[in-house]
Order: sequence, then C-alpha cells, then structure tokens
Amino acid sequence: MRARAVALATLASVSIVGIGWQLGSSAIEASQSLTASSGGTAMAAAASATQAAAQSGTFTGAVVPTQYGNMQVSVTIANGAITEVTPLQLTNRGGRSAGISNQAAPILRSEVLTAQSAKVHNVSGATYTSEGYLRSLQSALDTAGF
Amino acid sequence: MGWDSERMPARTCATMGTVVSLRLGDSAADFDSAAVEVVESVFRRWDEQFSLYREDSELSRIARGDIRLTEASQSLRTCYALALDWRERTQGVFTPHRADGVIDLSGVVKALAIAEAGTALTARSPAKWSINAGGDVLVSGDAGHPEWVVAIVDPGNRSEVIANVPLGYPLRAVATSGSAERGEHIWTALNGEPSPFRQVSVFAADILTADVLATAIVAGGESTLSEMTERFAIDVLAVLRDGQLLATPGLRRTA
Repeated sequence: MRARAVALATLASVSIVGIGWQLGSSAIEASQSLTASSGGTAMAAAASATQAAAQSGTFTGAVVPTQYGNMQVSVTIANGAITEVTPLQLTNRGGRSAGISNQAAPILRSEVLTAQSAKVHNVSGATYTSEGYLRSLQSALDTAGF
Repeated sequence: MGWDSERMPARTCATMGTVVSLRLGDSAADFDSAAVEVVESVFRRWDEQFSLYREDSELSRIARGDIRLTEASQSLRTCYALALDWRERTQGVFTPHRADGVIDLSGVVKALAIAEAGTALTARSPAKWSINAGGDVLVSGDAGHPEWVVAIVDPGNRSEVIANVPLGYPLRAVATSGSAERGEHIWTALNGEPSPFRQVSVFAADILTADVLATAIVAGGESTLSEMTERFAIDVLAVLRDGQLLATPGLRRTA
C-alpha cells in the first residue's frame, strides 16, 4: 500500500517533469530539481514553476513502467496551479487494473448497500457448526421456506 | 415475476461439521431431488478425502505419516498446491498448515466443494440456485438474473443482521470469517496479537477467493485488508472489535 503510494507520488513527479517540458523552458530548471524531491514537495514546486508559464489545461504524462506495472497520470493546471492529478493507468502486481482506491473506509450501518427486495435468501456469518446451525438465522430461513 | 411472492423451499444436509442449505428454482415445483443428491455427494467426497476429523481420510493418513505427500493422490497434491498458491498471494497470512505443522486444507476444501457443487447445478439446469455451506454462500447468476439477497450476521448479536446485501453477478460469492462461533479458529499471523476484526465478509466472483481472503483479512489485520482490496476484485464488509464497520465503496449505498 505504502509502496504503491510512493510509486504513484514518484510517477506524479515524473509526469510533472514531462509536463514541464511541454510548458516550455521556463519550467525546466525547477522541474529538473523535482526528481530528487518527494511527491508532495514536487507538486508544490511544480505548481510554482508552472506559474511562470501561467498556462491552463489538462496535460497527460507519459506512460511510465514501474515495478507495479505501467502507470500514467494527467495533471490539470489552472492559472499556473495544479488543481488535480488523475491516475489514468494504474496496474498492480497481480496484473489487474485497479481503480485509485477500493479501500475499505468507516461506514455507518445505515449507509451499507441494501437490497431492493426485503426478502432474504441466505445468511452469511462466521462459520457455524452443525449444532450452531440450529440456533442460526439461516436455520430460521430454511425452516420458513424462504 | 414470482421472485418475491413465492416461497423458496430449502433443503439442508449436514456435512463437513456444518450444514449446507440449498435452494433451487423459484418454487417447490422446481425442486429437483436428483440435484440435491448431486450436491450432497460432492460435499461427501471432499469431506471423505480431506477431513482431519475422519481418521480414514487421505489427509489424516498423511498427518499421521502413514503415507508420504509424494505418495498422495494427484487430487490431494493439486489441492495442496492451490492452497500454497493462496499462501503466496496473501503474503503468507493464509496458510494450509496447522500450528503443529500438519497440513490442514480445511481453509480451501469447503470452498472447493461449494464451487464444484455450483458447477454441477449449473450443468444440470439453468434454473436459479444458491448454496450456503456454514455461512459461505455461492449463488447462480449471470448479468440478467435478479439478485439474491444475503444477510450479514451481526457478530455482536448473532440473531441480528448488519445488512441485507444484494448478491449476484459478477460478485456471486460471499464468505464470512470471524471468531464468533468456532473460537479463534484462524491462526493469527500477527505474532499472536488478536485480530482488530471481529468479523470480515468478502464478496468475490468465486467462493474460494471470498473464503480465503476473509480468513486472511481476519488473520492479517488492517494491512492485509488494504492489500487485498487493492489487489483483488472484491468488496469487503468488516466489523471492528468495537462494532464499527468498514466497507469498500461497492458496498456503500448510493445516495
């Protein structure tokens, strides 16, 4: 997880360097120093660097092969400031393309996805024993014929 | 359609130390006794070969040293290899070895039996079916089928549910692990520390992935949860020790 975050941050820096080239020579000097800095600082520095060019728009970085697979980001710049970094390609070690986050986050019970139908067919819980089954909700459902 | 109004009779059979509940079709008229027997025989066969509770099972004979692993049947070695493969995929959190070193394939065998039974049911007829083996559920389903509904038990009060979640294509399987019923039956990988999770339900396209990852996340804690939600196409509903829930975006009700 942390490794991926670092890889993504690094990639963002790399892409920003590339985008710096697109924006013109005024950004180059600042951008070159970015490669050595960490992701967060790099973005701030790139933002100030691009301010000189005062350009706006969305710029797509090159596809960069990393140990996690190919990665690519686009950066949206408004009046010289980076407003958004969007990952376009993010591939994990398993080879499956993944969204930026399928992270589990705190959720209230009322916020959990609920079926349209109120009718329940099965119950999933920690494995019940044959004896435990008799006390289980599944047993009640099975007996009721639902 | 009769989905909501008609009763769906269930058949149950005791196997693998638990109970399998089977639903077929929409109504009692759809009930196919031969299909029930097929499912029962699938579970019986896996149990006879792999149960460590049966002295005469092939796996028990290996555990006692009566036969060597290299002399075991191809199907047993394939199953062991599959379990070792899952050990790799979970960075060692899921393991097919008991603390005393004995090969224990119970972490994959029930799921493999459910999967085989599901395949057999699909081959017999296109009708709807669902299999629930001890809380691990696999349902029939393609993109056009109506959803099945699965209730997730509240580990704090097992006669209550946390949520009634739709189950269907593409995530047709759900497995739940926890320490509520069988004690701390998952060997923890956290240096003996208790899991931060009281219960973890994993929704996946297949029951083996759901089952193994539910076990792994309980055993591995929050870092394993993050790693697995990132690497696999799964949804997860986890209950922390204090009762708070964690869920992946796919299980969040859309506003």
